[in-house]
Amino acid sequence: MIETQLSELAAATEARIAAVTTADELEAIRVEVLGRKGKLAEVSKDMGKLSPEQRGVVGKLLNAAKQTLENALTARKTGFDEAALAARLEREWVDLTAPAAGAGLGSLHPLTQIQAEIEDLFVSLGFTVLDGPEVETEFNNFDALNIPPDHPARDMQDTFWLSNGHLLRTHTSPVQVRGMKKLGPPLRMIAPGRVFRNEEVDASHEHTFYQLEGMMVDKDVSVAHLIYFMKTLLSAIFKRDVTVRLRPGYFPFVEPGFELDIQCLICGGTGCPVCKQSGWVELLPCGLVHPNVLRLGGIDPEVYSGFAFGLGMTRLVMMRYAIDDIRQLQGGDLRFLTQF
Amino acid sequence: MKFSYNWLAEHIDGLTVPPAEIGKLITMKTAECEGVEAHGAHFDHVVIAKVLTAEPIPGTHLSVASVDTGRYGVKQVVCGAPNCRAGMLTAYVPPGQLGVTTAKLRGVDSEGMLASAKELGISAEDEGIIEFADGEPGAAIAGCTADTIVEIDNKSLTHRPDLWGHHGMAREVAAIAGRPLKPLGVELPAGDPAVEIEIRDAKLCPRFSALRFENVTVQASPLWLQQRLESVGLNPINNIVDVTNYLMAELAQPMHAYDAAKLQGGKIIVRVAEDGEQCPALNGQTYTLDSSHLVIADAGGPVGIAGVIGGGPSAISESTTTILLEAANFHAASIRKTSTKLKLRTDASMRFEKSQDPVNTVRALARAKGLLEQVSPGIRLVGGLADLYYPLPEVAPISFDLTWMRRKLGKPDLTAAEVTGILKSIAFGVTEVDGQFTVTVPSWRATKDVSLKDDLVEEVGRMIGYGNLTPVPPLVPSVVPPLPPERAYLRGLRQLLTAQGYTEVYNYSFVNEVQAAELGLPIEDHVRVVNPIAQGQELLRTSLLPNIKRNINDNAKEYESFRLFEIGKEIHARGRELPEEIPHLAAVSFEKHRDGVANLFELKRLAGTVVPGCTVEPVEARPFEHPFRSAQVILRNEAIGRLFEFHPSLVETGRAAVLDLDLTKVQALRPAAGKYKPLRRFPTSAFDLTVPTAERELAGTVLGFIREHSGPLTLDVRYLYDYTGDKGRSMTFRITLGAADRTLTGDEVTAIRSQLLAAVAAKYQ
Repeated sequence: MIETQLSELAAATEARIAAVTTADELEAIRVEVLGRKGKLAEVSKDMGKLSPEQRGVVGKLLNAAKQTLENALTARKTGFDEAALAARLEREWVDLTAPAAGAGLGSLHPLTQIQAEIEDLFVSLGFTVLDGPEVETEFNNFDALNIPPDHPARDMQDTFWLSNGHLLRTHTSPVQVRGMKKLGPPLRMIAPGRVFRNEEVDASHEHTFYQLEGMMVDKDVSVAHLIYFMKTLLSAIFKRDVTVRLRPGYFPFVEPGFELDIQCLICGGTGCPVCKQSGWVELLPCGLVHPNVLRLGGIDPEVYSGFAFGLGMTRLVMMRYAIDDIRQLQGGDLRFLTQF
Repeated sequence: MKFSYNWLAEHIDGLTVPPAEIGKLITMKTAECEGVEAHGAHFDHVVIAKVLTAEPIPGTHLSVASVDTGRYGVKQVVCGAPNCRAGMLTAYVPPGQLGVTTAKLRGVDSEGMLASAKELGISAEDEGIIEFADGEPGAAIAGCTADTIVEIDNKSLTHRPDLWGHHGMAREVAAIAGRPLKPLGVELPAGDPAVEIEIRDAKLCPRFSALRFENVTVQASPLWLQQRLESVGLNPINNIVDVTNYLMAELAQPMHAYDAAKLQGGKIIVRVAEDGEQCPALNGQTYTLDSSHLVIADAGGPVGIAGVIGGGPSAISESTTTILLEAANFHAASIRKTSTKLKLRTDASMRFEKSQDPVNTVRALARAKGLLEQVSPGIRLVGGLADLYYPLPEVAPISFDLTWMRRKLGKPDLTAAEVTGILKSIAFGVTEVDGQFTVTVPSWRATKDVSLKDDLVEEVGRMIGYGNLTPVPPLVPSVVPPLPPERAYLRGLRQLLTAQGYTEVYNYSFVNEVQAAELGLPIEDHVRVVNPIAQGQELLRTSLLPNIKRNINDNAKEYESFRLFEIGKEIHARGRELPEEIPHLAAVSFEKHRDGVANLFELKRLAGTVVPGCTVEPVEARPFEHPFRSAQVILRNEAIGRLFEFHPSLVETGRAAVLDLDLTKVQALRPAAGKYKPLRRFPTSAFDLTVPTAERELAGTVLGFIREHSGPLTLDVRYLYDYTGDKGRSMTFRITLGAADRTLTGDEVTAIRSQLLAAVAAKYQ
């Protein structure tokens, strides 16, 4: 009797499980049939009334029915879960071509970038990096660099004079003086920074621009060393082998003084509009440090000698990015600055 | 300064360097050549022509001339010059020269052109076509030749007084080309001084030399002289003045010719001017002088501003018959001071300020005598040379040894013979014994240019050619350079800011008064530029913000929102001392359409990112700040900057939040790296606490209160959220407790919580 009841229940439930359309319906069937107070539990409650032999037979049948139904339930439940997950994932569709929220990456000023690059080169060659003030004494800017008052060389650098009796430095060379006093010989230093010339501003002239001063003082530093060093350095900056030449140039704080030209990188020296057909581009002034300058820096010129040079960083930036208007560099226009 | 190739070649025996190459040679060995150009190439083709007939073309100012050109045959030329007439000798320019073509003018065929002196490039004369007194048709114009002009950058001649004249440059070219320099004829006949000279200050005027001439004819110079002056950029004036200018361009010795009849008294006095003394000058201006200026005076007062410009009344005129010719030497700095002060830079002052050679005065006068005899026939010298000379201290001979020179240049194979040869080629006196050199300096290099052995390194180096040195790697100790920590700090800071989306701007160190006033920055606190040449440069910035404000308004025209920053120096006046330059960071977050709160909090987060551990405290707003959105940033109890929104009235459209940090303080207060703390081994307990507060209570204050009253076992107090409802505002915090050595019991936590609740209730309910 009980066996019939059991097999009917199992068959009917199996049919219902196969027919459900939602996970909730399936759960309701599980509770109704397999739950703690479900129909199978009721059947097992009645087992106490049976003989031990019958109990064994019915027990087996009961377990088999339970197992069958549980398998059927699990199979359907897995199906519903998978479908639900798939549906959720589908709902979670995102348009990844839409813009990202928050700030994007900002840009470093091109002068900052080139300065860092050049500083790193020098540091790798054992140079220290010094900073100097924008406002300098007349002494440091001129006299200590062998340019006394009323010297015509002062005409080379139109100067902003200040109400406090000082001036805006016209070059980074005053840091030579500061560097020699601070470091003592032997020394290798660079001093990048902002310098000022009192000129009208147009596309190719600025009253504010950037230089990098360099100096090496040691025993027996020679012109041949200077040439080697500048060639090495400029090849690293331009990322290719450059040919340099020195020719006489007058700067009172060096003796001898040179203009250093590099062979035109555009035409390779055959002549083009960039080098005005000469094959050479004037790049930087340099020379052996004048003994008077060494002396004012507290260094004995009979024991030590050195070379110094001034690299125009504004010019390098303009060359690298083909910038044709110098005013852009300090114009604060983000349309320009975000390009770097 | 322009140099004529022909002129240079006249001074060099057998110069074979072609004109096209001379510029490059000078550039590589002496001074920078800025350009080489042909001058007067047409003189090889232009001929003297005789006008056979000249008939007016009716209804025009033109005439049609038939001219015998000799070389080119008889030509028909249409000419517009009023002086074109039959029988005259003039210049004929064939087609193909000076842009002249064969054309039909007013229906008349014209082949070639009859030219004025100006058209020929001889002088500025353009009243009519040039007229010659004699000459054969077909002959070249005597004295006018094709030339090459080499332009040298004046800056590269600053240290070389001798190179402001052709003779000095010829000496260089001769040495470079390995040819001898021709000697100058400089003999003067003996005679009594023609004028009395008094020099009141020998330092300001070491030498004054003069000659007097009579029977002078003032007229136009011969064409060769005019063309020569014209070719180097000097205007021909008359034969006398032209001779002085010619010698200035040849010997770098400025000269001046006075109309001797117009000088008063028999004496020339070189003295400083009296304050307020006036000097009418050649250029028609009258200059008011003071005791910093040196004048040449006669009994009647100044007749010239020494070394700068001659006087007007005693200038050479057509009626001049006697002249006094001056060649003097003046102190360079004094001349420069005067010319700067009077804003009068002349060819003379430009040369004197380079420290000219006093030996040169007599050479120039001797040359002048010869030239004047050529250009003013019948001229006679009166008496002899007047010359008052206080020689400059001599430059001591310079000693060095060959080894030293080799080491300086980095040329170990340099020989004593090479050094001797080079130095002698540019007129240094050389004695050498076993590599020990003693060198004497020629007078024209001794005034300032050469006095040290280092100066001779340049002479030897440039003449060898720096390209002939083999580059050598320097032998230097391998040491780790001592790098200042602020470099690394600033670099890291910039990287961090760009990673947060901020773009770097560079602004000028200048602000103008309007900008400063707009932000209420006291004008008098600024260091002022004494000589600005453009607007906007009058003050040095005491704050980055005026220029940052400009960046904001400029970029707001293009962007709805943006972020930017600048790292730059504030410059604060310290009396007569150098100002204090303080590096600052100014960062801006701008939004055109929202309320600006998010921008402020973004910058607050940025502050916490660049200065970990900083806090923000409300503070009284400055005039340019939003009065209710302004705070100072604090690190270890010290104010290190401000966080604020620009006053909306200063921002044309939108909201601009700003973070302004003093980077010196930030770096000084940064905590040093500490020791590692062992990780907590026992669990923590946490509870939340909601505090009812006034509407404008500060979260920071409440948090501080909780921290203060929650006891020593408090590990963390965190603000969770803020709620404003019917019952007003409340804030909820999470308090985390824990001990290093045990797990807290439930009773301990309850006790702390109760204590805190009581304290909060007492304060906030």
